[in-house]
Order: sequence, then C-alpha cells, then structure tokens
Amino acid sequence: MKQVEDSEILEKFSNTKTRNEAFNLLLNKYQQKIYWHIRRLVIDHDDADDLVQDVFVKVWKNLDSFRSDSQLYTWIYRIATNESITFLNKKKQRNNTPLDEVSDELAETLVASSYFNGDKIQLKLQQALLTLPEKQRLIFNMKYFDELKYEEISEITGTSVGALKASFHIAVKKIEAFMLNEDITF
Amino acid sequence: MKQDFENDEWMKGVRETGFTTPLHYFDELSESINARISAEKFKSVIQNDGHTVPDNYFEKLQANILAKTITEDKQIVKPKVVRLWKSSLVKYASAACFLLVTGIGLYFNKQSPAQQSVTADSTEQMLYDIDEQVIIDHISSNDLAQPKPNAADTDLENYILTNYSQNELTTSL
Repeated sequence: MKQVEDSEILEKFSNTKTRNEAFNLLLNKYQQKIYWHIRRLVIDHDDADDLVQDVFVKVWKNLDSFRSDSQLYTWIYRIATNESITFLNKKKQRNNTPLDEVSDELAETLVASSYFNGDKIQLKLQQALLTLPEKQRLIFNMKYFDELKYEEISEITGTSVGALKASFHIAVKKIEAFMLNEDITF
Repeated sequence: MKQDFENDEWMKGVRETGFTTPLHYFDELSESINARISAEKFKSVIQNDGHTVPDNYFEKLQANILAKTITEDKQIVKPKVVRLWKSSLVKYASAACFLLVTGIGLYFNKQSPAQQSVTADSTEQMLYDIDEQVIIDHISSNDLAQPKPNAADTDLENYILTNYSQNELTTSL
C-alpha cells in the first residue's frame, strides 16, 4: 500500500472538513513507529501504551501550530522522545532512585515482562543497552532499530551530527564489551 | 624511465588542493570504522529487539487515540449564539434608549458639582461673618488637655490591694 505523504496529511488537516481523515492517515502512518520508539525507551508495554496515547493527543492539539520548517515525523519523534525522557525522570524522582538503579528496574521489567519473547542474544542486547546512559541508549535505538539518518536524529534531539556519531560509536563499543564479558561473540 | 612523482612539482600541486579535515579526524576514523563494523555484525545476528504487544493491540490503540481526540472534540457542543438585534427597529430603539440614558446622566452629573460649590461657598461666608475674637475665645475656652486622674497612683494601688484578693486579680488579668 502506498504511504501517504506528510504534505498531504498537513493539507487535509488544515481543512476542517478533512481534518479527521487526515488524523486517521497520520495515525496509520506513525502510530506503530512511535509506539516502538517509546517502548524501547521505557521497556514496559503499559507505560508505552499510556505515553503513545499522550503523544498523539498532543499532536492532535498542536498540529495546527506545526510549522513546516521541520519534518512532520521528526516533530512527532521529538514529542515522543521528550515525553519518554520526562516519564523516566519522573519515575526516578518518584522512587528517589539513582539512574543506574532505574536501569536495574527496567532490566527486571524486561525479564518479567510477558511481552518480551526475545532469545538469549536479544535479551543480552537489551540488558547491554540498559547499562548505557539515557542519551546514548536513545541514539543507539534511533540509529540501529529505527534506522534514522544522523541528520534526522540531530533534528529530533537537537544534538550535532558529530556528537551523535561519537555517541553511537561509544555505545557500540560498550555493547561489544558487555557481550564479550557475557561470552557472546559475533 | 621511472618518474619521481614524490618530488615532482606537479604532484605537490595536486596534494595541496585546499581540502581540510576536522581536528584529529584520522585518529578517530579507524575507531569509527570498527564501531560501524561491530554494529553491522550485531545487525546480522539481532534484527529486532524481542519486544511484543498484545493481540490486535494497534487496532485498539488507534480506537483509544481517536476516542481521546476526534470523538471528544465532537462531544463538546458549541454554545448557540443568539443574535441580540434581529430587526433593525429593535436596533435603532436600543440606540435611542442608550443615547437618552447617557444624555440624562450627563445632564445631572453637570448639575451636582454646581450645587456642591454653592454649599461650600455659603459655609465659608458664614465663617467670615463671625467676629474673629469670638472664634479665638471659643477655641481657647475648650480644654484640650488629657483628663487628669483624680486619685494618685499610690491611692489607686492601695484601694485595689485592700478590696481585691490576689486570686481575683490573677483571674481578671
């Protein structure tokens, strides 16, 4: 099925008669991508479910004021990223736990989750990712799983391409070291 | 004949093309290449993250989002706007009433300060009519000092001590 262009979605959304149709098109195009982006950050399905709904409610309320100087999907990704990081920070403050312990909590959620059916290597990769600082994990996920370009990640995170490349390389090295430590070689 | 390219002036010109690289670029390049190779190796073994969702989750998700956005907006009934002036007759009558009320208000507002000034003038005139000495006598005859107590403080103290017990004094204080 041919995917609808963002420009068409925006044009339809600007007309009150076709606004609902435009939003349905937008959901069809982006809801899964945004869900997975959030899910990889917050790990738990129920948390991701709440957050993805919040993100699209925000999109619905603010799409009128969206300016076409950035791409629509990078704008939605930015909202999703901010919501997820705010959620993780709130979780950290609520439980009064340091960041590494939040990672431990997320790792426990991963193991106990009924919505994770990855094999041993997939589990190890997720555990390795949870040892990374939040921003490195975010960048690795967007590059590795979402397959976004550095320029797109730069627009979403507001970080320079050079810094993103450095973060990604450091993340890969750390993951490699973690895997070696677990006797997993590629 | 083998040409000495290294020392050739022409080659030197080619080498100095004006292109530059970021600082320490070549020091970091090998690390970057190794990291890319490692990432490619991971990718060949691990294509996805292993997370799953409940059955038909995305259909339900879309319905939930639509319920919170489009459907909710439809339920908010816009208040009906009732036009105040349906006919031109009511419109002109309202304007006439407004002008009339404003005119009356302005008329009486202009009248009242004049009355106030008349009252103030007459009071001032009355004071001028009274002889100055009479006013001075009247002010000096009034005792403006604080009333002095008839009894001395010690007398008052003695009276209290003789007529009231210590308990009565404590409770009343």
